[in-house]
Amino acid sequence: MIFTNNLTKSYGNLTALDNLNLEVKEGEIYCLLGANGAGKTTTINLLLGFMKPTSGNAFINQLDVVEHSKQTKQYLAYIPENLMLYPSLNAIENLDYFSGIANKNFNKKTLESILTEAGLQASAFYKPVSKYSKGMRQKVGVAIALAKDAKVLLLDEPTSGLDPKASFEFGRLLQKLRQKGVATLMATHDLFRAKEVATTIGIMKDGQLKQQWSVDDITLSDLEKNYLETMSYNTIEL
Amino acid sequence: MLKYNFKYEWLLLIRKRWIQVLTILLFILFGFAVYNGTQKVDARNASISSAINEFKMEEKKMLVQFDSIEKGFKVNTSSWLLPTRPIVIGNLHPRVVNMPAKSTAFISTGQSDMFAHYVQPIVTGDDSTMNFKEMTSPVQLLFGSFDLTFVTVYLLPLLIIAFSFNILASERESGSLKLLASQPINIRTWVLQKLGLRFFWLVIAIIITLSLVFIVFGFDFKTSLTSFMALLSIIITYTLFWFVLAFATNIWIKSSAKNAITLIGFWILFVLLSPSLINQISNTLYPIPSRILMLNEMRSIKAEATKKQDEILDNFLRDHPEYATNDSTQVRGFYQKYMATQQLIQDELKPLLSEFDSQINNQHKLVNASIWLSPALIVQNSLNRIAGTSTEDYQDFKRQSLTFSKEWRNFFKPMMFKDEKFKKSDYKNLPKFEFSYANVNTYGKTLGLVILSSLILFLVLVLKPRKNQIELIS
Repeated sequence: MIFTNNLTKSYGNLTALDNLNLEVKEGEIYCLLGANGAGKTTTINLLLGFMKPTSGNAFINQLDVVEHSKQTKQYLAYIPENLMLYPSLNAIENLDYFSGIANKNFNKKTLESILTEAGLQASAFYKPVSKYSKGMRQKVGVAIALAKDAKVLLLDEPTSGLDPKASFEFGRLLQKLRQKGVATLMATHDLFRAKEVATTIGIMKDGQLKQQWSVDDITLSDLEKNYLETMSYNTIEL
Repeated sequence: MLKYNFKYEWLLLIRKRWIQVLTILLFILFGFAVYNGTQKVDARNASISSAINEFKMEEKKMLVQFDSIEKGFKVNTSSWLLPTRPIVIGNLHPRVVNMPAKSTAFISTGQSDMFAHYVQPIVTGDDSTMNFKEMTSPVQLLFGSFDLTFVTVYLLPLLIIAFSFNILASERESGSLKLLASQPINIRTWVLQKLGLRFFWLVIAIIITLSLVFIVFGFDFKTSLTSFMALLSIIITYTLFWFVLAFATNIWIKSSAKNAITLIGFWILFVLLSPSLINQISNTLYPIPSRILMLNEMRSIKAEATKKQDEILDNFLRDHPEYATNDSTQVRGFYQKYMATQQLIQDELKPLLSEFDSQINNQHKLVNASIWLSPALIVQNSLNRIAGTSTEDYQDFKRQSLTFSKEWRNFFKPMMFKDEKFKKSDYKNLPKFEFSYANVNTYGKTLGLVILSSLILFLVLVLKPRKNQIELIS
C-alpha cells in the first residue's frame, strides 16, 4: 500500500530525507519514531504530494504520488498533529463537506453512524467544532478517513497533546482501522503508544531510517534504550 | 466539489455574518449615496425651475403689455423697455436654455458640480464669456461627492478586498489547508470556486440592495430600465475585475497580510494613482493656455473694436447689404454699432478660443484613450455617461446652447438693423430650445472590463500551471 524507493528530499546542502526505503502493507501500522527534524514529517509530506522528492519515488497503492497526485489522494486520509476543521460548522457538516469534495456522498444517518464509529459522542454531532477538544477533532479526522474508505492513513503526531484517555481511544480506533485492512504510517514521539498500536516500528535520525523492528521482536524498554542510543543520548547521564 | 463548496460556502458566510454585514453595509452605502445624489439633482432641478418660473412671470407681464399696446392703450413703461423693441425681447426676456437632469442623474455627480445647468443667451451677449461654470465648495471638489459612483468606484473594491483577500492564506494559516490538500482536489480550482461563489453572493447582494434602494427613492424602472441594466452590468463587471485580481493575489502570494497589502496597492494604483497620472500627463502634453492671458487679449480686442465702432458698422453693412436700409436719414443706434462690433470681436477671438478649446479637446481625447489603463476610470466614465453628467454631456450642452444663442441673435438681428418693431405675432416664431442627450451605450466598456478580467484570469491559469499545486500548499 505504501512504498518508498530511495526517497530523498534535499534543501540545498541540507538533506531532510536520505534514501528512505519503506513499505507498509495492508492492515499494518508503521510507527516512525525520531526527534524533531529527523525527517518524519517530510516523509508524510512527500507521500501526500505536498512536496516533490529530490530523487527516488513514493507510491500509494502502486501509484507514484508525483505522477498520480489526484488519484493517490483518493486512497489516502491524513490526520495532522492539529486537525483544523471549519470551526463554525458542526461535525456532521465538516464530515459532509470533506467527504463530499472527495466525491463521497452520504445522507445524514450514514454521517452520524460514521461519526459514531469514529468514537464521537452523539451529543457532540451538532455542536460547532470550535467547541471541540483536540481529541474530539481527531475523531472527526478519523471519521473523514472512514467516510473516504481510505486504504492508507497518514498520521503526523496525532496523539501529541492528547490526554491519556483520548490517546488510548485513538489507539483503539487505529486498531479498528487496521482490522479493516488500512495501511497506516504514523509519525510520533510517543514510544508507549507506538509499541501499543504498531505492527512495525522504525527509528529515524538525520533523514535516515536507522533501525526497524517488528513490534513482536522488541520490548518497550529495549525500544526506549535503542531510541535513546540512536539519538546519541547517554542513558546513564539521563 | 462545486456542489459542496456552494452549500458550505453559503453556510460559512452566513454563520460568520458576512452576508448579513455586507447586505446591511451595501444598503446603507447605496442608500446614503442615492439620497445624496437625489439631493443634488433636486437642487439642480430647483435652480432650473426657479429660473423658468421667473422667466414665465416676466413673460406674462410682457405679454399683457403687448396686448395693451396692440389694442392702442398707453402703457406705463419707459419707451426703452417696450416689448415692441426687438432688443427688449432679445435681451430682457431670454429663454432659459437648460440641461434638465436625466432620471438617472443621481447616480453620478460627475461634472455637475462644476458646470451650470442653464444659461440665458441674449442678443447682445458675448458667447465667449457665457458662463457655463458653477461655483462649488472647494472641499467638495477635493473629496468628491458621496454618490453611487463614488461608492462603486472607491468603496466597493475595498469591500471586495476585505471579502476575498485571504481565501487561501487563511486556510494555510489556520492549518486546514493540509487537510483540504489531502483530498483529491485541485487547490487552484478550489480557490477559484470559493471566490466565484463569493462573487456570486456579493452580486446577488448588490442587485437586491440596489433595487431596494432605487424602489425606496421612487426610481422609475419602466422608463429607465435600460439605464438600470447598464448600471448593474458595469457594477457587476467592475466587481468581477476585483475578484479576478483577488484570485491572482490569492494564488501568487502566501500570507494574509501580504495579500491585503498587495490588493490595497492595486486599489491605490487603479483607483487613485492611474487617474491622477493620466491627468498629469494630459496637462503636460496639452497645457491649457492661461485663462487670464486669454481674458486680457479679449479685453484689448474689445477695447480696440469699441473705438472703431462707426468704421466697423460701415464695413459690416458693406458685407451684409441685407441689413442695410434705404432710408439715408436713418441714424444708426448704439445696438447696431455694438452688434456689428460683436461680430468682428467674435471673428478675431476665434483663433484664441479655438486654441483653448483644442487643448481641452486634446486632453479629453488622451484621457478617453487612456481609461483602459484603469478600470476605475472606465467605470467612472460609464456611470457619468449613464447619469448624463459626463464631460461629453456638458460639452454637448455647451454646443447646443451656443447654437441656440446664435439662432436667438440671428432672429433679432434683421429687425434691429432695420429698426423694425417686434410684433406679438413674432413671439410664437421665437427660437425654442430643448436639450437632447446623446444616446449612451456603455456595454462596450462593460465588455472591455470582462475581457480585461478574463485576460488576468487566463494569465494566472497559464503562469501558475497545475504542477505548481505544491507551491500553493507549502
